[in-house]
Amino acid sequence: MNRKSIQTAKRLYTVLLILFMYAPIFAMIALSFNASKFRAVWGGFTLDWYQRLIHDHVILSAFYNTILIALIASILATLIGTLAALGISVLPSRSRTASLAVANIPMLNADIVTGISLMLLFIACRIKLGFASVLIAHITFDIPFVILSVLPKLKQSRQRTYEAALDLGADSWQAFWRIIFPDILPGILSGFMLAFTMSIDDFIITHFTKGPGVDTLSTCIYSEVRKGIRPEMYALSTLLFVLVLLLLILINYQPAKGNRKGVKRLVLSRVVPGALILSFLVFALFYARNDTAAAGQGQVIVYNWGEYLDPDVVAQFEEETGIHVVYEEYETNEIMYPKIASGAIAYDAVCPSEYMVQRMIDEDLLYAFDAKDLPQSGNIGDRYWKISGSIDPENRYFVPYYWGTVGILYNKSKVKEPVDSWSILWDKKYKGEILMQNSVRDALGITLKYLGYSLNSTDLDELHEARDMLIRQKPLVQAYVVDQVRDMMIGNEAALAVIYSGEAHVSQAANPDLAYAIPKEGSNVWMDGWVIPKNAKNKDNAKKWISFLCRPDIAKKNFEYITYSVTNEKVRDLVDDPVLKNSPILWSTDEELTDLETFRYLGKENTDLYNRLWRDIKSH
Amino acid sequence: MNNKLIEMRSISKTYHTRTVLDDFSLYVRENEFLTLLGPSGCGKTTLLRILGGFETPDSGRVFFEGKDITDLAPNKRPLNTVFQNDTIFYHMSVADNIAFSLKIRGVSRAAIEDEVEKALHLVGLDGYGDRMPDTMSGGQAQRVQIARAIISRPKVLLLDEPLSALDLKLRQSMQYELIRLKEELGITFIYVTHDQEEALTMSDTVVVINGGRIQQIGRPEDIYNEPQNAFTADFIGDGNIFDALMIRDELVNILGTDFPCVDVGFGQNNPVDVIIRPEDVELVDPDKGTIRGVVTSVLFRGVHYEMDVLAHGYHWMARSTRMVPEGTEVGIMIDPFNIQVMHKPTRPDQETFTHA
Repeated sequence: MNRKSIQTAKRLYTVLLILFMYAPIFAMIALSFNASKFRAVWGGFTLDWYQRLIHDHVILSAFYNTILIALIASILATLIGTLAALGISVLPSRSRTASLAVANIPMLNADIVTGISLMLLFIACRIKLGFASVLIAHITFDIPFVILSVLPKLKQSRQRTYEAALDLGADSWQAFWRIIFPDILPGILSGFMLAFTMSIDDFIITHFTKGPGVDTLSTCIYSEVRKGIRPEMYALSTLLFVLVLLLLILINYQPAKGNRKGVKRLVLSRVVPGALILSFLVFALFYARNDTAAAGQGQVIVYNWGEYLDPDVVAQFEEETGIHVVYEEYETNEIMYPKIASGAIAYDAVCPSEYMVQRMIDEDLLYAFDAKDLPQSGNIGDRYWKISGSIDPENRYFVPYYWGTVGILYNKSKVKEPVDSWSILWDKKYKGEILMQNSVRDALGITLKYLGYSLNSTDLDELHEARDMLIRQKPLVQAYVVDQVRDMMIGNEAALAVIYSGEAHVSQAANPDLAYAIPKEGSNVWMDGWVIPKNAKNKDNAKKWISFLCRPDIAKKNFEYITYSVTNEKVRDLVDDPVLKNSPILWSTDEELTDLETFRYLGKENTDLYNRLWRDIKSH
Repeated sequence: MNNKLIEMRSISKTYHTRTVLDDFSLYVRENEFLTLLGPSGCGKTTLLRILGGFETPDSGRVFFEGKDITDLAPNKRPLNTVFQNDTIFYHMSVADNIAFSLKIRGVSRAAIEDEVEKALHLVGLDGYGDRMPDTMSGGQAQRVQIARAIISRPKVLLLDEPLSALDLKLRQSMQYELIRLKEELGITFIYVTHDQEEALTMSDTVVVINGGRIQQIGRPEDIYNEPQNAFTADFIGDGNIFDALMIRDELVNILGTDFPCVDVGFGQNNPVDVIIRPEDVELVDPDKGTIRGVVTSVLFRGVHYEMDVLAHGYHWMARSTRMVPEGTEVGIMIDPFNIQVMHKPTRPDQETFTHA
C-alpha cells in the first residue's frame, strides 16, 4: 500500500468510528423533525413535536424537576465536596489515601446498588420518597465527583501558598478567599459541572428513590417509552442531548494559557454564561409549567399494577373532575407492600390482592370508609362482596374490582370425558399430558381442595396428605410451569393444565378446542381491588377515583383493556365484542362461584412450612 | 548590631519518634546576616518554620525584641519568609503578588503602586508588574517572592534555601543581589541552606547544625579554618581527616609520624581528630617532606589541580596551582598553623558527615 491509500484508510476509519458513535443520536435528531408519526416514513420537516413538547405539562414539569434537582444537588454537593477536599488535602498521606478510597467507592459502585441502598435507607428512616429523597440521593452521588475534581488542585506544593499568604499578614479567612479559592476555582467549577451533568444524566438512582408525581426527564421518558414512543420524546431527547453537550463544552473550555487574566476572566468566561443559561431555564420552565398545569381540585396519588387500567381512563378522570392523577405502578404485591407499610409514600388509592389486603387490615394500614356506600359501589355484584367479606367482613376497606379463578384448562380433542373434578389430574390415562402451576400455594391449594380441606390449611396432617398426593402425581406431570401454560395449551402440547381464568380465556380465544372447568370440589378465587391507605392525604379524591372506576362505562373500558373478569355486574350488557361478551370463562355462574375460597396470608411460620413441603415435592 | 533581636531558648521538636530539634538555643542580633547551615534533615527548616509561626515547638520559647512570640499567629509576626518552594500566587499579576501584604493591610492604592515600583526596582524587575507569573523564568519568579516578602519592610527576613532551585550561574549572581539587598534595606536576614559555599560567601555568622544541635557558631573564616569537630570539618569544604594521637601540647602523631602543631590543651597521649585542608598539603621533594608518598592521580579543576597522594596507607588530597605528574614520588610538608586538632566526637551528630 502506498502512503496515500494508508492516509485514506485512516481517514475512512475515523469517519466510520464517528459515524458509528453518533449515528443513533443523529437518527433521533432527524426523527424529531419528522412530520410523519411513523419512524419508517419521512413526512417532511416540522417543528410540531417541539411545539407539542412545550405544551405538555407532564414533560415540562419533569424538565423543571430535572434542572432544579440537578442545580440544587450540584450546588450543595459542590459545597460539601469542596470542604471535604480541603479537609482531605491536609490529612497525613496514609489517611488521605484511605479517605480518597472511601470517597471513590460510591462512584465506582453500580448505580443500581446505590439506588436500592438509598431507597432502603430512606424507607428505614421513614423519609418520604419524593422530591427531597431524590435530591438527597443526587447530592450523595454527586459529592465524589466534586472531591475528585477539586483535590488535584490542592496539591501539597500549593499548600505552601497558603502559608505564604499567612506569612504576608493575611488571616486564614483572607488566605483562603484570596489565595486558595481562586487557585482551586477551576476545579470547583469542573466539579460543579460534572455533578450537574451526572444529575441530569441519572436514571437508575432517581428511579429507586423517587416518589409518586416526582419525575425527572429520565424517569419520565422511561415511563413514556413503556407506553410506546411518541415523537415528542425524540424532540425531548434531542434537547437533552444539546443541553448536556453545551455543558460539556463549558466544562472543557480552557482559556489559552498566558492569556488568562486570573479569576475575573474565569468568572466571565464560564460562570456567568453557565449561570445565565441555567437560571433562564429554571425560570422559563417554572412559568411554562405553571401556565399549563391543570388548574385543579388537587390530586390523587394512585398506586396500581402495571398495565392494569386503560390509560385513557386516567385522562378522562382528570378531565371530568379536574383532579390531577399521579400514577405509579408496581409489579407484585410484595413490592407494593413495604412502601405502604413504611409510610414512605402517602398513596391515596392502591389496588392490592385480597390476601395482601387482609394482611394490611391486620396491620392497621388501611382507612375504613364503608366501601359499599360509594356512589357507584352498587354496580358491584353481591356475590363478590360476599367473597371479599372473607377478608373484610363488614366491607369497610376493600372495593373488589378484578377477580379470577383457578381451574382446569383441557383440550377437548384429547380429553373426551367431562371434566368436573381435580381427580382427573391423578388419572394415569393422561400420563405426560398434565401441566401443573409451578407455585407452592397453587399446587398445594388445589390438592387440599381435592382432599376436601381448606386451601389455607395449616393442619400438619392435612398438609402431609396433600404433599404425598402431589408426590404420587409427579410421574404423570409433564412439567411445572408458570407463564408457558398458555402457549403450551394453545399449541396442543398437553391435555390438561391448572390455570388462572384470565389466561384460560386468552388461550381459549386462540384455540377453540380448549375448555375451562372449575372442579366441583372447589377452588381458589382471587380478587384485586381498591383500598385507601390510612396515611393517604387526599382521601376524598381517592373515593372519587374509586367511584369513577366503578362506573359501568369506565369498568367496561378496563375490562376490554385487560380482559380479566370484573366485579361490575353492568359491564356485560355494554360489551359489544361477542368473544368477550359470550366468554364462558370470564362470566362465571353462581354455582361455579360457590365453594371457592380466597387465599389468606398464613404468617411467616406457616409460609416456611409450605415452602419446606414444596421442596420435598420438587426434590422427590 | 549588638541587640538580641530574636532569641530561641531551649527549643525541642519531635515528629513521631524523630527528634528534629534537641534543646536548641540561639540568638540573632539586629541587622545580622545569619545562616543556618546543615545537611538536609538537620532541623534547620523546622527552626525557620518555628520562627515563622508555622510550627509550634514541643518545649522552649521564641522571643522577639524580648517579647515571647511562641504562640503568635504567622500573620501577626513582624517577619516575612522567602520560601524554598514556589509559592507564587499564579492567579495574580506580578504587581498584585508583590502588593499582597499591603493590600491586606489596606494601604492606599497610590501608596501601593509606589511601593511596588520600588520593590520591583530593588529586585531588578522594573517593568514586569503587569506580567503573569507563569510567563517568567525561575530566577525571576524567585525575585518576585523576595520582592513580595520585603515590600512591607519586615524587621527580619527568613530565607529558606531560596536559591536552591536555580542554576549555578544564577545562584551566584543572586547571592550578590541578596547581600546588596540586605545592605540597602538594613534588615536582619536569617538564611537557611545546605550549601556551604553559599553560607560562607554571604553570612556574617554561620551556625552549623546537625542532628538538631548546634555544632559550631562563628564567622565564616573561623568555621572554615578552625572547625571544632569532625562533622564541621567534613561538612565545610574538603579536607583530610585523621584519627590522630596528641602526644603533648604542640605535637600530634598522624599515621605514625609526629607533626608539630600549634594546638594546646588536648592533654598527653590523647586520641584526637585532625583536619588538614587540601590546599595546606604542600608537595615538595621527597627528601624535604615530613613523610613520603606517590602521586596516584591528578585532576584539573580549573583554578587548581587536585592531586591524590598515597602516603602511609592514606590517600591525601592536595590542591595546588602547580601540577605534579602522576607517579611522581613526593614529600608532604604541613605548616604547623594549618593542622587543626579537634576533640573526638562524644555524640553521633559530631562525627564526620560522610561516615554518619
